[in-house]
Amino acid sequence: MSEAPIANKKVLGLFALAMINVAAVLSIRNFPSMAVYGWSCIGWYVLGAIVFLIPISLAGAELATGWPEGGGVYAWVKQAFGEKGGFVALFCEWSNNLVWFPTVLSFTASTLAFALTPDLAANPWFMFAVMMIVFWGTTAIAYFGEETSTKFSNIGVILGSIVPSLLIIGLGLWWLGSGQKIVIPHFTLAQTVPTINLSTLPFFATIVLLFAGMEMAGFHALETKNPQRDFPRAMALSAVIIVICTVLATLAIAIVIPASQLNLASGVMQAIQYFFDAAGIAWLVGPMALLITLGGVVNLAAWLIGPAKGLGIVAEEGNMPPLFDKTNKYGAPVAVLLIQALIGSVISLLYVFLPSVNQAYWILSAMTVELLCIVYILVFAALIKLRYSKPDTPRPFKIPGGMIGVWIVGGLGLFGTVLSFIVGLMPPMYFTNWIVYVGSVLLGTFLLAVPPLIFLKFKHPGWLKKQNGGEQP
Amino acid sequence: MTISKNGEICLALLVAVLFILPCLMLGLIYEEAPYHTVAGEPVREAADAAGISVADVEGTLWNMAGATGGKTYTLTDPEGDTAYIATQAFDSAESRDAAVRLYNAHAPGKGKQVGSMIVVGQYIVYATPVNSPIFAKLVPALQQAAKATT
Repeated sequence: MSEAPIANKKVLGLFALAMINVAAVLSIRNFPSMAVYGWSCIGWYVLGAIVFLIPISLAGAELATGWPEGGGVYAWVKQAFGEKGGFVALFCEWSNNLVWFPTVLSFTASTLAFALTPDLAANPWFMFAVMMIVFWGTTAIAYFGEETSTKFSNIGVILGSIVPSLLIIGLGLWWLGSGQKIVIPHFTLAQTVPTINLSTLPFFATIVLLFAGMEMAGFHALETKNPQRDFPRAMALSAVIIVICTVLATLAIAIVIPASQLNLASGVMQAIQYFFDAAGIAWLVGPMALLITLGGVVNLAAWLIGPAKGLGIVAEEGNMPPLFDKTNKYGAPVAVLLIQALIGSVISLLYVFLPSVNQAYWILSAMTVELLCIVYILVFAALIKLRYSKPDTPRPFKIPGGMIGVWIVGGLGLFGTVLSFIVGLMPPMYFTNWIVYVGSVLLGTFLLAVPPLIFLKFKHPGWLKKQNGGEQP
Repeated sequence: MTISKNGEICLALLVAVLFILPCLMLGLIYEEAPYHTVAGEPVREAADAAGISVADVEGTLWNMAGATGGKTYTLTDPEGDTAYIATQAFDSAESRDAAVRLYNAHAPGKGKQVGSMIVVGQYIVYATPVNSPIFAKLVPALQQAAKATT
């Protein structure tokens, strides 16, 4: 049974909402991987913005202001496709995290190791210990509710994501201004056009999902002071911050570090060290590693808290057994957080200690892509359907252009995510047995998406809380 | 404890198993590349065998714990494709696997990793672009080379 919760305190304003999205999307670890593409990273980013970032920002703003109840994607998709659709969308958003957590956890651990002594990154016990401290520590922050996690997120995202991005951009500008050698060819418009062919097509899914998380603020609707006013503004503010930081910081790295140094060898810290050595500020590498570690933790926290809150609401509505419906006095869904932490810990354990798992992790990454695509396909489809099925619901923010505008926005989003789903199923060219690959990815995706259907199959009135009119089991 | 409570716990366990199952399956069915010494230059030998030209080669030492050096090859094939393939040897299975984790950890956003990577003995072999047909031609020979020295 839940402890008497503090009624959802309205603690989130425009800035806090925007920072939730920035925390979920802006990640320094993306920059070196994208900088490999030189000027054409601009074209890739523009492509990602057109087929995903702009559509999801507009869709999120309209849906969040039209249905400002808790649950984020669950509430939105439920309005359009019923409980089953909403539950599947939310569960896919939650379940892909559990597969993804080990990567972001190992990123924070290896970045911290770089600040201490890089050899530690090769020690699986150090890695696992740090991963667990970060994972359970972040879960503990979520335990203390929205106010605490918001403060942590606001401070963390500024220090761990925005400040390092601005520092990299500043150094890039200084590099240009001081007449140092630029390692990529001089800018021409033609060079910004990305090469899209069979070799690079799988990268399309990566580009689309580079901006995944723009809907994260929607999970916090119940704690938002003025959702109808603040959601659209927060979407716009976060999109601007994310685009500016991402594009300029990537270019700053691209102009300073030779592409030959920007491959697998360039973990973020390796790239930063090269960059800072060249700029003569090698002493700043350690502090930067600590900031980027914090950025990784905040990135993790955004994904750890948002979907878990949504799942708490699903449980509260009686769609999951009461075991999942435990909230504490801070309003945090403790049962979901605990189950999430336990499953995530086991997967992390396998990831660190079973080389076969980390060597084949790209198959699990493909499952993450497929699960996320299911979420966004349902969100964009809901956006379009709700304009027909509930045209009179007040939407303080409406996508301009009437039905044509909605079809363009929803259509672009659907195009991007459906294509990502398809290319996500493409095995690497060297993988000879594509049936095994596609079968494994689809089976794994199915296993991670199917629990809502199991819960709904066994659902009974006793799962509803007393105050909602149900019986306490 | 009531029957309904037991049922709830069973459902929760089922969900947990569904999550862990894909990882366990992967751990069991995927053939781990053991750490051992592969002699010579496996990429160059594989390229020669596949009729792929080495347009350029540079020595590289990655800034990672345990990295002992490798080469970055620019390869071209008669169809006009180009691929950049980097190799790096590591002094232990732990340091090699740490590099694999680093590769996984740097997948942009929530997408797939950039480039393709395989493990060949003490080496990590990393190729871009992600779906390079040249790399596809080299992989069977690389895997063969790894097995031959096992």
